Amino acid sequence: MDTLLTADVAANSPRYRRKSSTFVDAIHDMPETGELAPAQLYSTESGRLFHSGRIAIATVGLPARGKTHVSVALARYLRWLGVKTRVFHLGDYRREHVGDGKDVPDDYFFVNASASTVLLRQKILKKCRDDIYHFLNHENGQIAIYDAVNPLAAGRRSLAREFGKHDVETLFIESACDDEKIIEENVRSVKISSPDYVGWSADDAVKHYLARMSAKIPHFETMEETDLNYIKMINAGERISVNNCSFGYLSHRIVFYLLNLHIKSRHTYFARAGTSKQEDSFKTDTSLSEEGKEYANKMGETLIRHREKERQAMVDRGGPNVPLKMLTVWTSTRRRTVETSQYLYENGYRVRQRSQMSQLNPGVCEKKSERRIRLEYPEEVAKHEADPYHHRYPRAESYHDLAVRLEPIILELEREQNDLLIIAHESVLRVLYGYLMACNATDIPSLSFPRNEIIEIIPASYNNEATRITIPGIQEKLIPSSPEDIKIPVPPSGAVTPMGLDSSTPKRNTGSPLNGVATPSEPGDGQQLLIERALRGDR
Amino acid sequence: MVTYYKKTNGEGVQVEDTRIAVIMVGLPARGKSLIAQKVVRYLAWLSISAKAFNVGSYRRADTPQPTADFFDTTNTDGERLRHAAAEAAVADMIKWFNNDYGVVAILDATNSTKARRRWVKQRCDANNIETLYVESKCDQEELIMSNIMEVKTTSPDYKGQDPEAAAKDFRNRIRNYEKVYQTIDEDEKDLTYVKLIDVGGQVIINQIKDYLQSRVVYYLMNLHIKPRSIWLSRHGESNFNLEGKIGGDADISVRGEMYAKALPDLVASSVAPDQKLTIWTSTLKRTIQTARFLAASPKGYDKLEWKALDELDSGVCDGLTYQEIADRYPEDFRARDDDKYNYRYRGGESYRDVVIRLEPIIMELERSENIIIVTHQAVLRCIYAYYMNVPQEQSPWMEVPLHTLIKLTPRAYSTEEVRFKGNIPAVSTFRTKGSTAKHQ
Repeated sequence: MDTLLTADVAANSPRYRRKSSTFVDAIHDMPETGELAPAQLYSTESGRLFHSGRIAIATVGLPARGKTHVSVALARYLRWLGVKTRVFHLGDYRREHVGDGKDVPDDYFFVNASASTVLLRQKILKKCRDDIYHFLNHENGQIAIYDAVNPLAAGRRSLAREFGKHDVETLFIESACDDEKIIEENVRSVKISSPDYVGWSADDAVKHYLARMSAKIPHFETMEETDLNYIKMINAGERISVNNCSFGYLSHRIVFYLLNLHIKSRHTYFARAGTSKQEDSFKTDTSLSEEGKEYANKMGETLIRHREKERQAMVDRGGPNVPLKMLTVWTSTRRRTVETSQYLYENGYRVRQRSQMSQLNPGVCEKKSERRIRLEYPEEVAKHEADPYHHRYPRAESYHDLAVRLEPIILELEREQNDLLIIAHESVLRVLYGYLMACNATDIPSLSFPRNEIIEIIPASYNNEATRITIPGIQEKLIPSSPEDIKIPVPPSGAVTPMGLDSSTPKRNTGSPLNGVATPSEPGDGQQLLIERALRGDR
Repeated sequence: MVTYYKKTNGEGVQVEDTRIAVIMVGLPARGKSLIAQKVVRYLAWLSISAKAFNVGSYRRADTPQPTADFFDTTNTDGERLRHAAAEAAVADMIKWFNNDYGVVAILDATNSTKARRRWVKQRCDANNIETLYVESKCDQEELIMSNIMEVKTTSPDYKGQDPEAAAKDFRNRIRNYEKVYQTIDEDEKDLTYVKLIDVGGQVIINQIKDYLQSRVVYYLMNLHIKPRSIWLSRHGESNFNLEGKIGGDADISVRGEMYAKALPDLVASSVAPDQKLTIWTSTLKRTIQTARFLAASPKGYDKLEWKALDELDSGVCDGLTYQEIADRYPEDFRARDDDKYNYRYRGGESYRDVVIRLEPIIMELERSENIIIVTHQAVLRCIYAYYMNVPQEQSPWMEVPLHTLIKLTPRAYSTEEVRFKGNIPAVSTFRTKGSTAKHQ
C-alpha cells in the first residue's frame, strides 16, 4: 500500500502527518489528538494527566531575558511527557495584528501610551487570551504558556484572578537577569531569529531592541507577590526561588526541569558510531573494525573543520572574533561509541560516557535477519508494524522504553553549556533528535542517520533548526543503517525493505532524517544490501 | 586512553561518577531526620545507593541520654563530645563513599553554624564529593509542637522517660541551639543549597550542579513534614481471583462486595472523626467497586482514579491462570521466578516498569496528607516497598492478603504499620516461587 501513497496523501495521513520535514522543529505544530507523546507513561480519556488540572504559565521578565526560550523549552519537555501544552507568544499576535513588515506604534510598549495604542494593545491581548481559553476549554489542552512581559504586580494579580475564574491555575515564571553578558548574548540571538526583525539591519535591530528595553525598565516590578504561585529564575538558573501556594505534581515537575535549563545557546551535533568487528551482535561489546576507525577519524576531522569554518564565516560577516565555544563529546559506555570518540579525545576534547545512552536492546531479535524474524515471530512483526514506537519484541526494549530511560540524558542535555557532540547508536540518536525537534512518536523509529553525515541542531529561541554536515569519503557500504536496526524497526507493511520506506515518503530528496535520503538512492541497491545482510545474518 | 569502566545502578534512574553528600541544616524538631529517611528510601527505591549518617546516633554511643545542658555551647565537655560525634559520622560517610561505591549520603545533624558547614564542605571537597545543603527552616509553632510530641515519644534520647519531662528538656535543647543557629545566607552563595521555608511554602534553590542534585531537590520540594497516614488496600475478591486468573478487568465477587461494604467501618476505626481523607483507586472496575461505599459515605471523602494505579500489565498472560502460563510459556514462567523484579511479561510490564510509572503517584502521595489507596497486588507491593524500604529481591514476593487494610504512618525514625483484618473470607492469591497452585 505504501507504493500507492502519493506525496499529498502521505502528507495528510496520520503517520506522515508532518507537513514540514523532520528537519523543522515541530514545537509550534499541534499533535493530532489521541496520539501518544514519546515519553508518555499512560493516557486518560480527558487527555489530561496527573490530576493536575489546567494550568496557565505566564512568563514575567524584561525583554532579552530568555522568556521565549524558557517557554518553548518547557513546552518541549511537557509535550515529551504527554502533557498537552501550547505556547502563546503575545508577540505573534502583535505581528499578526499589524501585518507583515509593519511595526506597532512607537509607544506600544510604553505605560503611558496614547488611547489608540492602548486600544490596539487590548485588542491584541483579547485575541491571545481567547485562543488560550479555547485551547484549555475545547481542545483538551492542559497547559497554556502565555509568553509575555507581564511587568507589573497589579497586572499579574488580575491575570491570575481572570484565569482563576475559568478554573485555571496560574503559575508565573520570571526570568530575572543582572548579568550583562547573558543579556547581550540573548539580544544577539533574539535579533537574529525573532520574526520581529525580518528585513532589519543588525545594528538597527539591536538599537530598537535596547530602546524597547530601556523603555520598560522604569515600569518593571520583580515578583514578590507571596499570594501568587511563582518561580523566579535568576541569572540563567544560578538561583531559583519558588513561592508555592498550591503546587501540584506538574508544577514541581516544571521546577525540576527548570533546575536543569539554562538560557545560553549552544549547538548539538549527532553522529553515528563507527562499524564494529561483530556488527550484528548486541551482547558482545566489540571494538571498531578498521573501516569503523577510518570513519571515526573522518567524522572527527570533518567536525573540527566545520566548526572552524563556521567561526570564520561569522568573523567575515562582521561578527566578533571570539574563540569557539568548547565542545564536549558524549558517548554511551559501549566500546564502539567510545572508540569513535578516540580521534576527538586525542585532539583534546572532553569525552563523557553515559551508560543510559546504550542502544535499544534488540531482545530475541539479536543476530537474526529480518526474514528470520518474520518467520519466527509473525505475530510480533504484525504488532510492530501497527505501532513501531511502542511495540517491543520479546525481551527487547521499545522506543518508548528507550525514551523513558533517556530522561536523565534529556535533562543533562538541557544542562550542558558547551557545544555537544553525541556519538551513539542510531536508535538513541532517533530519540534524542525526536526530543530536540519535537517529532511525533510515530516518526521517531523511522528517522535515519546516515553515516556520511553529522546532524547539527542550531537552537534559536523560537524553534530549533537542523542542518547536515557531509563527511566526505565515506565508503558506500558504511553509510546506511547498521544491520541490527533493520531487524528491529521492521518497515510498515507493504514495503519490501526498510529502504523501501524512502521511496514512499514524500520529498525524499529534501534531506530529512525521516525519509532517509542518504540510504541507497536506487531501491534496487537497498534490496541488494538487505539480501546480503540477510544472508550474513542467517549464516 | 579512554577508560571503559563506569558504574551503573540498574535501569531506572542512573548516575555516573557523581557522589553527593546531602548535608541537613536546621534546628531540632524541623523534620530533618524524617526528610533524611525519606530521601534514602526514595533513592533506594530508584536503585540508587543511599545511606543516612545520623550524628545523634554517634553521639549516643558515648552519651546515650543527655540532658539539655549537654547541648549548651558553653558546656565545653558537651561541645567536644558533639564535635567528636560529627567527626566520626563524616569519617564513616567518606569511608562509605570510597569503599562501598556510595552515591548519595545524608548527613543528618543540625549543622547549625556557618563554620560547621564550611568544615563539612572542606572534608567533602578533599574527597571529590559534592555537597548539597538542605535547610529546613520553620517558624510555625503548631508544626514544631507536633514534631516535639513525636520526638519525645519516638527518639532513643528519651526512651523510657516521662513524656512531659522529655518534652520540656527537648524544648530547652532547642533553645540552646537557637543561641548559635545561623541560617544559610548571602555569605554562602557559593554553596549548592536548598532552603525549604515553612515546609515548602517557599523554596530557594542555589547553584544546582547536576542532574542527580536536581532530582533530589525535586523530591524534597514534594515533601512535607506534617503528620499523616496512608491506608492501603487491595480490591475486594474478584471473579478472576476465584478462578485463579491474573489481570483482566473483572467485577468483584459476592465476598468482594461484602468487603466493599465493610470498608467504611474498617476505615472509620482508624481515622479520627474530623480527619480529611482522599480515596485513590485505579481505573479498573474491581478497585472502583471496592471503594464505592467508602466514597458514598456521609464523610464526603474526595475520590480520584489513577491510570498509574492499574495492575501490572501481564501482556499475553492477561486472563490466564498460573498453570496455563506454565504450560504455554514454560520458559517465561521460570524466568519470572528467577528474577521477578526485572521480569517483563511478553507485551506487558515488569515490577521495575511499574515503579517507573508510579513515580508521579509517589510524588503526589508525598505532597498529600491522608490518603487511602485501593489498588492491586503488584502495585500495592511497590508502594509498600517504598514506605517500608523493602529490597527489590523481596518486594515482588511479599504476601499482601485480600480484605485487609494496612495503615502506614511515617515517623522520624521509621514507618509504623498497623493491619486491620476485614474478617471476610477470600481466596489467597499469593503464589510461592515455583508453584502453579490456583489458590494456596
